[in-house]
Amino acid sequence: MNVMITGAAGGLGRAIAVECGSRGYDLFLTDIAPNGLESIELGIKRQFGVNVITHACDLTHASAVDIMLADIDRMGLAFDMLINVAGIDFEGGFLTQDREASVKIISLNDAATLRITHAMLGRRNKVRFTVVFVSSLASMFPMPLKAEYAASKPFLLDFATALRQELKADSVNVLTLCPAGMETTPKATKKIAAQGFWGDVTTNALESVARRTVDRALRGRTLYVPGVFNRLLAGLGRLVPRSLAAAVVYRRRSDAQRRWMNTEE
Amino acid sequence: MKTVVVTGATSGIGMEVLRLLSREGYRVAGVSRTAEGCERVDVPDVKWFVGDLMQQREVNRVADEINAWLGEVSAGKLYALINNAGCARNRYTTTEDGYEQQFALNYLAGFLLTHRLLPALLHGGRVLMTASRSHMGIKVHWNDVMLRRRYNPLTAYKQSKLCDILFAKGLNDRYSEEGLRAYAVDPGLVNTAIGDKSGGIVKFVWSFRKPHGTDASVPAETYSLLCNAKQPELLSLRRTGVQS
Repeated sequence: MNVMITGAAGGLGRAIAVECGSRGYDLFLTDIAPNGLESIELGIKRQFGVNVITHACDLTHASAVDIMLADIDRMGLAFDMLINVAGIDFEGGFLTQDREASVKIISLNDAATLRITHAMLGRRNKVRFTVVFVSSLASMFPMPLKAEYAASKPFLLDFATALRQELKADSVNVLTLCPAGMETTPKATKKIAAQGFWGDVTTNALESVARRTVDRALRGRTLYVPGVFNRLLAGLGRLVPRSLAAAVVYRRRSDAQRRWMNTEE
Repeated sequence: MKTVVVTGATSGIGMEVLRLLSREGYRVAGVSRTAEGCERVDVPDVKWFVGDLMQQREVNRVADEINAWLGEVSAGKLYALINNAGCARNRYTTTEDGYEQQFALNYLAGFLLTHRLLPALLHGGRVLMTASRSHMGIKVHWNDVMLRRRYNPLTAYKQSKLCDILFAKGLNDRYSEEGLRAYAVDPGLVNTAIGDKSGGIVKFVWSFRKPHGTDASVPAETYSLLCNAKQPELLSLRRTGVQS
């Protein structure tokens, strides 16, 4: 089984790469960080002895993606699964953000994801193909102080649901993963700690999210919201008026943000 | 002058060991994760190496730098390597290489660094591992060493410390005839910052345990003893089971 993973050198992408490696899948990993890719390639080869190919690439540049695709075509690879993990978030109020950083969130999380998905669907194994989109629990409600990110995620959720319908007849399954926070970096750990109780109950265990995402995608599921409490929040997001949800989230986030910014060394 | 390298040397046990050995006349080098960390340490004449030992790429780089430095100052010989750097995590987190972080830092980093410095140590050198008595009652989970199936932070910690002890034994089995001796030290419960950054339940529990710990200068004596004593004395120490 050939699996392509984007954003494979960091947090969730890396954990999913390890999970797939442990299942004996062959991997094509891409990320913007060449050093990180080199490390994970070596680590997975050592632990599981599977084939790993890496290609560092900035997915927001169409020309860079074309070079990567040419590489893939030269090797004559066809894929059985695509896991779109690459994504970015810069937190803070819209006006405190750098303008281009805000735009970058959308160009990577949404535009680049479409680019790579289109390319990989054209290079899929015709028997059966699986696509995973990493959306977020943030796709369920507007999130002030994380506005661009939270707006980029429902795009993926809606797109995935529609794409699934389009490609059902072609044996393509599409799963959307909507996780809450995960302890992927020391910074993430700090932010989760700053949220106190709410941070603890919403945080998902990285290793089980990685495992269950692959499980569910292969079983043909549509949506995976990890954690009972998060499923409850997701349901609530559909019932509560959008402006009320935004007000509640704003209150909680501005407190937490103040706290974790104060603890920064 | 005998040369000693201490990892995790900017706080807790590592810093006190560095301080004590420096006072006792060793040429000391410390490995720190960040450059800022080194500046906090008020021990004179320390040669610092900066690297995040959780990442194997960094371990290799630091090992190259140490080997080059040893070539300059001590004809390529290292008297003691103290693999002390360690961490505690509340949840499953991975390193750049995709290893679980506690396993990677507490065990694999020391393993790789020792492996890379082995030629410098095979002249009567010593390797000291910061282990822990918490390894008791734990086994190595061979089918899932990184504990991805069911992650329990304390199990991961204990297992990494058990591996440290097994590593010290393994080194003795293989290299004691070539003059290298390895020791695992149980520092006891020490008041250090190891659990402070982990967050969640681990941080919570550690906040209660920590005040009951001894000052880090107490276990530092054990490291000094293991560095100063002559080999035959150490053998008798081991038999009588002297502990710090």
